[in-house]
Amino acid sequence: MAEEVIEFDLPVERGKVREFALAVGEDNPVFLDPQEALRQGFPDILAPPTFSVTQIWQVPREEREARLGANLDYERVLHGEQEFVYRRLPVAGEVLRGRMRISKDFTKEGRRGGSMRFVTYESTFTDADGAEVLTAYYTLIQTAKDPGS
Amino acid sequence: MSTPRTMTAGAITPGMELEEVVFGPLQRVDIVRYAGASGDFNPIHTDEGYARATGAPTVFAMGMLPAGYLAHALSDWFGGPQHLRRFKIRFTTRVWPGDELACVGRVESIDDGLVRVTLEARRRGSGPEGIDLPQQETAIVGEADIELSE
Repeated sequence: MAEEVIEFDLPVERGKVREFALAVGEDNPVFLDPQEALRQGFPDILAPPTFSVTQIWQVPREEREARLGANLDYERVLHGEQEFVYRRLPVAGEVLRGRMRISKDFTKEGRRGGSMRFVTYESTFTDADGAEVLTAYYTLIQTAKDPGS
Repeated sequence: MSTPRTMTAGAITPGMELEEVVFGPLQRVDIVRYAGASGDFNPIHTDEGYARATGAPTVFAMGMLPAGYLAHALSDWFGGPQHLRRFKIRFTTRVWPGDELACVGRVESIDDGLVRVTLEARRRGSGPEGIDLPQQETAIVGEADIELSE
């Protein structure tokens, strides 16, 4: 029996934030230098806007599949879309609480026949005070099976 | 990239084009660095043999890497990342080692301090050997909302 929601923690560690910022070529000191972040009015460096996508790996795919039960065939799955809605950006040093659920699951007929399935994993993150920080929507597309197979 | 400027809603108008920002050319080590930073260790992005066995000509970037560059350009255009309220992207083609990624955007509307922009990231380059690719094509389309002070 599949579960509705998976709950997990997303630690926002200073070293990981910095590593992620450098991996997307960031040079804005608000992501890298705690003193500069403080000067700009933040308690520590900010996590870049796409940092929270790392959360999808906090819960391994096998566990996500087993518990939420999307039943996707990963041989033909692509990351098709991604959306983030922000109240604020995460700050290094905090631990966010994530709640992930499947918010959309539908099938569309392709132009060349065969159907494509869209599954969206919605994750809402709250801070230590229970206030919402951001919501991420991770959409996978399961492509049509090859007609010959 | 430039040091973020402080932008106010008064300085932008609908139809305004945001200045192109180019990243790359993408090195394989950039993909490896992003794998480590993000935790995405799908070997199709880092293991040449594995990628070829799936039918790909070589490894390619995980979509969130060029998406991260696009978010980087977006936060620079609007004076820092803290003004971002929404960022949405759709992946339209793969980005290959050797590609440059050119990020562009356009202001669509401004409503009560909320700026809505459309975004595009184009891959530029000859692509890997063994497949025939256009020299330039859209890799990501997107949109974003930015909240600016009056």
